[in-house]
Amino acid sequence: MDRKLIGKRVVRNEDPRLLTGHAQFVDDVQLPGMLHAAFLRSEYAHARLLKVDVSKARQHKGVVAVFTAEDMGKDWQPGPPLVSPPPTVKDVVFHSRRQVPLAKDKVRHAGEAIAVVIAESRYIAEDAVEEIEVEYEPLPVVLDLEKALEPGSPLVHDDLDSNLAARLYQKKGDYEAARQQADVIVKRRIYIERGAAAAMENRGIVAHWDAQSEHLTIWDTTQAPIPIRNGTAARLGLSEHQVRVIAPYIGGGFGPKIMMFYPEEMVIPWAAMKLNRPVKWIEDRRENFYATTQERGQIHDVEMALTRDGRVLGLKDDFLHDTGAYDPYGLTIPLNTQSHNMGGYDIRNYSSEFKVVFTNRIIATPVRGAGRPHGIFVIERMMDAAARELGMDPVELRKRNLIPPDAFPYEHQIIDQAFAPLILDSGNYKAVVDKALEMIGYEKFIKEEQPRLRREGKYVGIGVVPFIETTGVGPYEGARVTVEASGKVNVATGIGTQGQGHFTSFAQVVAEQLGVKVSDVRIVTGDTSEFHWGTGTFASRGAVVAGNAVYAAAKSVRQKVLKLASKVLEAPEEELELGDGMVRVADIPQKAISLGELAVLANPLRGAVEAGTEPGLESTSYYGPQYGATAFGTHAMILEVDPETMMIKIRRYVVAEDCGTVLNPLILEGQIHGGVSMGLGNAYYEKLHMDENGQLLNASFADYLLVSSTEMPHIEVAHLETPSPLNELGAKGVGEAGAIPVPALFAQALENAFQERKLEILEMPLSPNRLFELLKDRQAVE
Amino acid sequence: MKIEGEYLFDGPREEVWKLVRDPEVLATCVPGIQTVNKVNDSEFTGEIALKIGPLGGTFGGRVTVSNEVAPESCTLTVEGSGKIGFLKGIGHVVLSEQPGSKTLMKYSGEAQIGGKVASVGQRLFESVSKGMVKQGLDKLNEILKQRSAA
Amino acid sequence: MQSTFDLTITVNGTRYERSVEPRMLLSDFLRHELGLTGTHVGCEHGVCGACSVLMDGQPIRSCLTFAVQAHGHEITTVEGLGTRDNLHPIQQAFQEAHGLQCGFCTPGILTTVKAFLEQNPNPSEEEIREALSGNLCRCTGYQHIIEAVQLAAEKMRK
Repeated sequence: MDRKLIGKRVVRNEDPRLLTGHAQFVDDVQLPGMLHAAFLRSEYAHARLLKVDVSKARQHKGVVAVFTAEDMGKDWQPGPPLVSPPPTVKDVVFHSRRQVPLAKDKVRHAGEAIAVVIAESRYIAEDAVEEIEVEYEPLPVVLDLEKALEPGSPLVHDDLDSNLAARLYQKKGDYEAARQQADVIVKRRIYIERGAAAAMENRGIVAHWDAQSEHLTIWDTTQAPIPIRNGTAARLGLSEHQVRVIAPYIGGGFGPKIMMFYPEEMVIPWAAMKLNRPVKWIEDRRENFYATTQERGQIHDVEMALTRDGRVLGLKDDFLHDTGAYDPYGLTIPLNTQSHNMGGYDIRNYSSEFKVVFTNRIIATPVRGAGRPHGIFVIERMMDAAARELGMDPVELRKRNLIPPDAFPYEHQIIDQAFAPLILDSGNYKAVVDKALEMIGYEKFIKEEQPRLRREGKYVGIGVVPFIETTGVGPYEGARVTVEASGKVNVATGIGTQGQGHFTSFAQVVAEQLGVKVSDVRIVTGDTSEFHWGTGTFASRGAVVAGNAVYAAAKSVRQKVLKLASKVLEAPEEELELGDGMVRVADIPQKAISLGELAVLANPLRGAVEAGTEPGLESTSYYGPQYGATAFGTHAMILEVDPETMMIKIRRYVVAEDCGTVLNPLILEGQIHGGVSMGLGNAYYEKLHMDENGQLLNASFADYLLVSSTEMPHIEVAHLETPSPLNELGAKGVGEAGAIPVPALFAQALENAFQERKLEILEMPLSPNRLFELLKDRQAVE
Repeated sequence: MKIEGEYLFDGPREEVWKLVRDPEVLATCVPGIQTVNKVNDSEFTGEIALKIGPLGGTFGGRVTVSNEVAPESCTLTVEGSGKIGFLKGIGHVVLSEQPGSKTLMKYSGEAQIGGKVASVGQRLFESVSKGMVKQGLDKLNEILKQRSAA
Repeated sequence: MQSTFDLTITVNGTRYERSVEPRMLLSDFLRHELGLTGTHVGCEHGVCGACSVLMDGQPIRSCLTFAVQAHGHEITTVEGLGTRDNLHPIQQAFQEAHGLQCGFCTPGILTTVKAFLEQNPNPSEEEIREALSGNLCRCTGYQHIIEAVQLAAEKMRK
């Protein structure tokens, strides 16, 4: 395949608009007569709603309407399930409980929406929200995952007989037999929590019902405009063709913006139709902490069986997963954890059961990593614990167990988040690990630098963590490529873009096929009127799935171009060349025609279009992968800890990654850097503090600490390319890769820095305070 | 959040008990109290203006005295709710005679805040509530001294 | 009844006279009254820096400033830096170095960088990180932003 543009560091098409403040984000939408909404949200994590009195709020000057669950009448319905129910695997349990537009009778998490005020301005709407009187009957709060499953625990959902939302068991081989044969058994309890996605742009939605044309237009900060369109049309009794959903420029997604049918997404379009005026709701940052989904914690009880020479015979991992008050996202996160708690290792015996638990917290849905960081944290902690037990170098232990290159495709015999068999398609894992070791200077550090620094009284540690990332899952995406009369190319696809550069990377794919400038390819994403079929941007699948659809459509248009040009230029197709927006006959440059002219000829005003062909130079193609491609990477870091303040300084950070064919290295590196910054937050700075009453205590950036420019190290990235056999571009996804191994890497490096104190880290996130406590506990033990 | 401490009053236990057990007196001692309504001998309602960190607002509150064992101990319950959130506090108070006509009060209890004020003010809540308790007890002590002087 | 204030303010060189409520935030005034939606609001409590604009050449948080506090002052927003066909060297540098992904935090960074480079035309990497520590970005991990600022400094020194 030609590599003129694919793989090049092309600057982005979308930047001039973004840089000059001319890119439209949802809150930039202004419509005549537009009203503004503000929500009343529950102050209690668990309570019965005895009374909701909106009468004073309705009287407030400038208020047009106040709605409660009661006011919605028969239009009040919980959101639809977002993923299919699990297959009927033995003993599977799944109770689907979905979020509601406005709470009725009971609130199940602090921040749950109870009523909405719609007024002439957001300022007035917020004033009126304060005049709504609610009588709550507080109920005992369910927060602790283990206590929640004990008999007699208060119930988040009264119609169930426990807080168990789901249970799934998977196995491979025979763990018990493996255990019998092992020389060493390592057992640990591991806690890992994540946090808020905290995209810089909060959520928002504008809905406009045009009663004359009977058409609903919605601007939404969603990662999945097509499913939102389909579901909204169904809820409101409209045809899909009467609804247009636009996800314009989105200020960061990271997962929570693909949670669909948030209460606001169910209420605002309904309200716009009811009031016959456009309605806008924009979330504020505090609401984002309460009303936008997060990813949270798991408790793992893990056991690993090994031989004396470091072969892992088997792994057993039983864990609890916190889903919050509802579970619209099904089992996606814990299934991803199961897909990753064997890492990239050749582990033949496996037993894993997870239980998903309802709690009185906001819903947990995927946040960059989506359960993968939990799985990698577990396997990598176990590897380090085993290495200590065996007295072996931790990198050596890993190398002994990595899946070798000739074992691909490697079948894990368990199912993944799409309920398809987990198959790792391709990879050259050892080469990537070796690259990272070389970049960080592993041997030299361990043998020379570390001992020297230790003698100087410094605590400096090294970490090396390999990991897999399942990416590029189906079901499918589509794209339409059209050459216009101007000679420029228009491309439409159904996914949305939240900053990952689709406007450029897809343009590179098309430009290479059609011989035009990257800047002459206009990509439209996130507008359901431009493309009708698709799913969304999640699971590191945008470039792989939509990119391959774009590629297929571009190739098809290229064929049409060649076929028509061959007729027009009276030369065989093999002698034609595409470049500079022209089609030329090789060696006879005068015999040429521009793509624009060709496009006009392809759409005749007279004559006949041949049966079985289509007018124009346009093609629509779809791509659906057999299964998701699996990427691989290794991060390595050298970090120094101040033994008094516990503040850290990352001296070096390197990444070796293999995501198959790279479309644009500039964009790829940006994704890695950004992922690492989120991973760093998950490791040492970000933690959602909730008190025993389910009150979130740090719902602002003053107290929920995002990594800033002074915490981030400089990151060196090296690419290796093992193309995926699953798609023509050979691409694998990489959007989440930066974040996945970081907590595990941190734990390893900190333990290495404090190895003489025999520090062991079995929890995430940490913080300077927590590290201090852990070291003090170690001292007490000694 | 736990609240506990001690306070030494400049007066005999009988006198301190009378004051502690009188919700109307307690009302005037709560910092920020604005209006007071007696419901009965053991209960009063009122409005408190409170500022915790960047958030300020009025709380409609209720103070109740219960579990009385005169002149030794009782339980005080404070509940308030307002636009910026809600608060609940429950404290057990034990009085013991001290030499020199003084009384030692030992108090221990729990305080809880929720709503907006919890998510941005929690860090400050501990110091604010300790400050409020001290201010309140100082005021109570002033009243005690005034009454015994009279 | 809310009283209003007669505000006079210059934004990107244009003088505006408007009647505003005293409690209207400068960020809302710029975005919704004047339609200059390039300035973005990320947190409304002064931490993220997305709303940064220049008041008389110095960076301020427009989410923590009332419009009336800007009465009689000169405001520069991202729209005052350059146009799509004529990017300011700082904007050019950001494109070349891939210093933005979703672009939401970018306008606040651009105004901050403009003021910074005017004070410190030849900054070290550490100085740049320090200067940008009040602007949060969730997408880039800051590395390409730092490179963009270094490139911008170079372009502006020429």
